[in-house]
Amino acid sequence: MQRFLDPSVLGAISGLDLVAKTVVDGFVAGLHRSPDFGFSQEFAEYRAYSPGDDLRHVDWNVFARTERAYLKRYRGETNSPLTVLLDASNSMNYTSHGVSKMDYARFTAASLFYLAIRDQRDAAGLIVFDDEVRNYIRPSTRQGQLHRLLSGLEMAEPRARTDFAKPLHHFQEFLRRRGIVLIISDFYESAEKIIRTIEPLRFHGNEVVLFHVLDPKEIRPDLGEPAVLVDLETRERVEVTPEYMRNEYRGKINAHIEALRDGARSAGMDYHLLVTDQPLDGALREYLTIRQGRN
Amino acid sequence: MGFLSPWFLAGAVAVGIPIYLHLLRRHTTTPQPFSSLMFVEHRTQSSIRHRRLRYLLLLSLRLALLALLALAFASPYINRPVASASGDKLLLLAIDNSFSMRAGSRLADAKRDALSLLADRNPAERAQIVAFGSQVSVLTQPIEDSATLRAAVESIVPGDSRGSLGELAHAVRSIGQNVRAPVELHVFSDMQKSDMPANFAEMALPDGVSLVLHPVVKSAVPNWAVEDVNAPGEVWDMKKAHVQAVVAGYGTPAATRSVSLVVNGKTIATRSVAVPAGGRASVEFQSLDVPYGFSRCEVRIDSADPLRADDGYMFAVGRFDPQRVLLVHDASDSRSPVYFASALAAAAASAFAVDSVSVERAANTQLSPYAFVVLSDVSSLPSSLENDLLRYVRGGGGVLIAAGTSSARRSSIPVFGDNALGSHYYSREAERFMTVGETDSSSPAAGKVAQWAGVRFYYAVAVDAANSRVIARLTDQTPLLLDKKIGEGRVLLLASGLDNLTNDFPLHPIFVPFVERTARYLSGTERRGGSRSVDSFLDLRTAKEQAVSVEVIDPAGRRPLSLKEATSASAYQLTQAGFYELHLANGRQDVVGVNADRRESDLAVIPDDVLSLWSGKPKEEPPPAANAGREPVRQPTKPYSFWWYAMLLVLAAAVAESLLASRYLGVQREEE
Repeated sequence: MQRFLDPSVLGAISGLDLVAKTVVDGFVAGLHRSPDFGFSQEFAEYRAYSPGDDLRHVDWNVFARTERAYLKRYRGETNSPLTVLLDASNSMNYTSHGVSKMDYARFTAASLFYLAIRDQRDAAGLIVFDDEVRNYIRPSTRQGQLHRLLSGLEMAEPRARTDFAKPLHHFQEFLRRRGIVLIISDFYESAEKIIRTIEPLRFHGNEVVLFHVLDPKEIRPDLGEPAVLVDLETRERVEVTPEYMRNEYRGKINAHIEALRDGARSAGMDYHLLVTDQPLDGALREYLTIRQGRN
Repeated sequence: MGFLSPWFLAGAVAVGIPIYLHLLRRHTTTPQPFSSLMFVEHRTQSSIRHRRLRYLLLLSLRLALLALLALAFASPYINRPVASASGDKLLLLAIDNSFSMRAGSRLADAKRDALSLLADRNPAERAQIVAFGSQVSVLTQPIEDSATLRAAVESIVPGDSRGSLGELAHAVRSIGQNVRAPVELHVFSDMQKSDMPANFAEMALPDGVSLVLHPVVKSAVPNWAVEDVNAPGEVWDMKKAHVQAVVAGYGTPAATRSVSLVVNGKTIATRSVAVPAGGRASVEFQSLDVPYGFSRCEVRIDSADPLRADDGYMFAVGRFDPQRVLLVHDASDSRSPVYFASALAAAAASAFAVDSVSVERAANTQLSPYAFVVLSDVSSLPSSLENDLLRYVRGGGGVLIAAGTSSARRSSIPVFGDNALGSHYYSREAERFMTVGETDSSSPAAGKVAQWAGVRFYYAVAVDAANSRVIARLTDQTPLLLDKKIGEGRVLLLASGLDNLTNDFPLHPIFVPFVERTARYLSGTERRGGSRSVDSFLDLRTAKEQAVSVEVIDPAGRRPLSLKEATSASAYQLTQAGFYELHLANGRQDVVGVNADRRESDLAVIPDDVLSLWSGKPKEEPPPAANAGREPVRQPTKPYSFWWYAMLLVLAAAVAESLLASRYLGVQREEE
């Protein structure tokens, strides 16, 4: 089943719904049965009806037998809305092996949506941003939500630059309800600024996870000869040498990753590095772990 | 060192291309997109320096590749000494021992040069010695033993045959195929012009043979020679015998030469003759007084030239009594004896004496003394004479029958035996006569058809030719001359007369040789004595004379034929000048004088440009005056192209360049 989680295999599948189904089904089938994870609405208790309760939750069978109204409560009712903040800046377009960072982010987001909506019955929403909010889909469990989310992912084409500060206040407007907030980005900004910008989201009781998406060649570049590199966002050109990219650059990018990881932990957030040539199960596992912790 | 195609060197300017690409062209790099330059810093100088240092070896290989390619196409060569060109080559020494090498010290000079070359050769080098005249004699196999090689050279003696460079080239081609190694051919010769074949291509040598010429003379030497002698091989009447000699000068000034006729070692006559410059003069001796039997004769001149061997011309003369011939004719026929006897006397130089008798007087004639018998248009033949003639023929005698008009009265031809089928009378007028249509040229009695041209036949007897061989036919296919073997003898039938009435045959020139050939054929005697040329062949026996021993005694008195050859050889090649004594299969004896081919007397040499063309080397400057007349032995050289060595280097450079370029420019593995 592992090969269904391979990004290069998923890149050949057209349609995010099929990608998400393939990933999640493969992921779920690979899990051991564990009491830590529940996948369906699990009965918890009956509670006496009180005015104001939603009549849709009244167990009419019990009422018929006892003429008393009871509400049927499930464990799953304590759901956690999932909101994915997807970075759609130009830098996400980079690829060195066929699956761009944007593709990988889409696959990850789609798989998370599928897992949340179909399996966990959680509400799921999407915010696509670059230097401003380009698309917002409110978290919901309504019929067709998954389709809307996947369409939103499809339309999220990279453009412009990343700017976390500008759309931040929009995030706070949208994220009024406590839930899980996943930020998928390559985080080309100083780690301090990123943490400082995202940290307010945590104040609303959200569980915030940073999914840091990087191409393997961004971590381990291997230039054969001197080259001119063009920044995908600023179009700036810089001539570099293989020695520099092999030594100094690697040190800098590794330091950036460590700074992000440490900053996230300090701020009570989770950090997860996603490399685009690795399977997608890491992100899914992270999500389920967090959700389980909230129940 | 030189170049066969130097204009290809212009291609060497292509070395500028890699220089431009590597050093002069501004470095351009295709920009590569990257996510963010947040952690990237500018680095330039170090990259250019590194690129230059790194690609220096690649640049060198590319420059070498182009330069070597231009060099290979220019076909470079170096002149290397032929002797040191290959360690496994054969040194082939060909020494001319033809007749002309007898002049002066030519053969000694050639042998001395050859010995000098052998002394200078590498002892480990194989060598082979051959001598050539009209044929090539292989004196040694390819060996390294210097003593044997020297002995072979010293054993070469002058021959009498004619030199042939064509035969030498043919033999060298065979040797070259057998040894399967480069052959270095050294020719020691006087380079006589007459030694060249008619077609220069016959002197062509194969590819693996390099030719070095060692001419022992540089220019022609004047020479007088007795070129030819016309003398009878047999004489019967001393008064009619005379000798005519031709004296020739080759490159000579006008001079008067004394010519002597020597018979059995005694000079019997001397004449003086003025020979024009480079021309010929003939001298005639009116009588040839020789004793009975064979005499060894020679015509000699006094020439004082280097080649003394051609100052005499040897010939043999046999003196015998004339053979008798019986001619039987009708009493009324007086014309046939006249024509036949006159022709026989003119043709055979009085070798035959004709006894003409009429039929009536011939009845009791003893036939055995006669060489052959002629029956000329005999109307009736006494039975006793006919029986005698049949016995005579069966015992080995010969009869010539001329069937004139009287034969038409008989149903069969006497002695010949076959039936007369009728007579053909042709007309003298209106071109209605007959001529000879076809002849059997293989028969000694008949000539070619062209020789019978113009002979008109007005009458011919039609004879049944079923049992005889037809030698000549008229144009209406009537057999004219028939040959029939009866017992041990032969009968020739001429289906017309000898009387100039039934034809005009006796009036034509062909009549004389016809009578001579017929007389010799029927009498069983052929021309004897006379002279031959060296290298000519002497018939020893006919096809019917197998298993009969023959004997040949050469001028030195030796018997060159082995016992087996003496009983089986049909011909013998005359290889020496002098007198050969022969005992032939038919029991007769013969002596012939053998002389060298007189083309060898012309000592003109092959022009230098022709020699240069043959040896494949350009014409060289004349040697210093001190060595005039003899070309110095020098070390020959031959151009050796080494373009394929350059191509091998091109290939190696191309492979190295490919490996290096793929290493530099290919995908680099991660260096952790």
